[in-house]
Amino acid sequence: MSSSNVDFISLVESKFGDKVQIQKGVNGEASFVANNGLHHDVLKAMIDVDEKTGITSITGLDFGENLGVYYHVHTAKSFFTIKAEVPRANPKIKSVVDIHPGATFHELEVTDLMGVVFVGNEFNGHFVLPENWPDGVYPLRKDTKLSDVKMVPTPEREANKPAEGRQVKIIIGPQHPALLEPEKFSVTVDGETVTRVEPRIGYVHRGIEKTTESRTYLQDIYLVERVCGICNPAHAYGFVGAVEKILKPSVPERAKYLRIIAMELNRLHSHLLTLGHAGLEIGYETVFQYFWRDREPIMDLIELTSGNRVYGSLITIGGVRRDITSEQIPKIKSVLADLRGKLPFYRKIYLEEPTLRLRMKDVGTLSREDALKLSVVGPVARGSGVDMDVRKDQPYEAYKDIPFKEIVYTDGDVWARMNVRMDEVEESINIIEYAVDHLPAGPIKVDVARSIPAGEAVCSLEAPRGELFYYVRSNGTDMPERVKIRTPTFANIPSFLKTAIGESIADVPSNFVSLDPCFSCTDR
Amino acid sequence: MTDTKTWARVKSPWVLHFNSGACNGCDIEIVALLTPKYDVERFGIKLEPSPRHADVLLVTGAVTQQCAERLKRVYDQMPQPKFVVAIGACACSGGVFEGNYSVVGGVDKVIPVTAYIPGCPPRPEAIIDGVVKLLNAINPPKQKKQKQAEAPKAESAPVVEEVKQVVQ
Repeated sequence: MSSSNVDFISLVESKFGDKVQIQKGVNGEASFVANNGLHHDVLKAMIDVDEKTGITSITGLDFGENLGVYYHVHTAKSFFTIKAEVPRANPKIKSVVDIHPGATFHELEVTDLMGVVFVGNEFNGHFVLPENWPDGVYPLRKDTKLSDVKMVPTPEREANKPAEGRQVKIIIGPQHPALLEPEKFSVTVDGETVTRVEPRIGYVHRGIEKTTESRTYLQDIYLVERVCGICNPAHAYGFVGAVEKILKPSVPERAKYLRIIAMELNRLHSHLLTLGHAGLEIGYETVFQYFWRDREPIMDLIELTSGNRVYGSLITIGGVRRDITSEQIPKIKSVLADLRGKLPFYRKIYLEEPTLRLRMKDVGTLSREDALKLSVVGPVARGSGVDMDVRKDQPYEAYKDIPFKEIVYTDGDVWARMNVRMDEVEESINIIEYAVDHLPAGPIKVDVARSIPAGEAVCSLEAPRGELFYYVRSNGTDMPERVKIRTPTFANIPSFLKTAIGESIADVPSNFVSLDPCFSCTDR
Repeated sequence: MTDTKTWARVKSPWVLHFNSGACNGCDIEIVALLTPKYDVERFGIKLEPSPRHADVLLVTGAVTQQCAERLKRVYDQMPQPKFVVAIGACACSGGVFEGNYSVVGGVDKVIPVTAYIPGCPPRPEAIIDGVVKLLNAINPPKQKKQKQAEAPKAESAPVVEEVKQVVQ
């Protein structure tokens, strides 16, 4: 069933003929224009021939008379977009959750922000918008005057009611010691066993996608970086990468390597952060303190190379803003060598330490089939035996020149997901050392125009938490017409809702932290 | 009695961290404060999970519409006297998200703020400096002088010196 060399373009051509228009090279390998409910059939045909096919994101667009619904689909080795349009007066489209459950959250988001109704996946209330947001006002539609929106009193929702019978509802969040960020999970328990989890996301929804439309491309780089304070170079590259696909500047080779160094340093600090945080969540504070102690030298390296601990804003359209000098290279190497020396000890902790094994082994197990169905990404997918890494599958920048291993564990539990990250720390060190040794000479940036020609492009990359996806549509001015951001945590949360069921309430924190959740990413 | 209370408060302020819709930048820096390099516990600062036991509320984020009501509720649960520190450009004024449709824009639009620590995100040293300045405000210099006269080894002064060295 699985095959990575399927020719999807001829498949769609032979199966649907003239009914589906094919736009080669648009938004990935090709875009399929499939109106009148055909999007469902095209997706089904693609899933049938390649088990790794899944929905990366669904973008809602406002074309005036019609509303656009773009399904961004990833396959084993490539990327496609299925385009559909629905009339604004009656924005109804057939849901695809029956063939691909991983699309559920994406559809709910489009309904909430763009007002497209997915038949088969309807819902009342708000998904990411605030509870006191008026019904029937969709912020991403172009004709919505946001300054006129009047907030309404918060309505009483079904989710806030207590559970019936012998079951008890435990509310985790929005302010909770186990969560660094505000998000609410209503966990229904029978005794100690979890029977139901209802999430309420949107506490960190700042409307970044809408705001990008009223700022210039240059300002937007700084704005999208602030989607997430942990993986900001990934967000900067996602946006810049999509814009560069429209603009097509010739980015210097040196800039490509410098970008990789920035993104891998970021992955290092993010993975060390999570590996430590997991220790905190299971009550093993020594692990937390150790990992965070060793994360600080990496933060110093980020500051050395980009100028700031957190927001370096290194990546910009056409290259990078700052060079690495030859004096900095010995410092970088010595810090990385120190960290490498400590890894055997840490790996031993995560592989053998009985405390960690008891709290992590066979907890929150996600099977390979479920991982594919739910379209999870990054270390969560790789912990369940799905070999999916954008750096390998669709190499961007200089990743195709750099040797590194793709880490896959097949256990599917919390322990496997954490060990994927543990092993990736070493791979990241390898990548940075290779990149520093093979840094090409030359300029670090080319000058680019401020206005971007009309067009659309997608960019996906492997952020520390998994595949990060950007869609940018430009209309020829210096401000984008639409920017869609699909973050890895948004794709991974459905797996938590599945794996938490039937397990002990005490395992919820360790299960949850194994996703490396980032809600500021999720909500945007 | 009042002196004893102030002494206890300054010696060991219990802080509660509330994220009102921040990007994680400031939040991770606050967590970094607890870890070996910065280790604010040496100043007696302890991160406390419950608002009912907290003296100082550290707020990050631009305050989203969804969080505003919750922020007010958490603040109301804290016992008097209570102090609020707005950490980061977003918490101070809304920052880069000022004017967005689902953002209130600044902690002081919802609850009174005692101290502002700007920066995107502020460095851990800056956060330590801000909290220590707040502690000095709680235990004003006049009182401190009296104490210095009583006991030559003053409690707060070395802390400030140490932080200054770190910042420099």
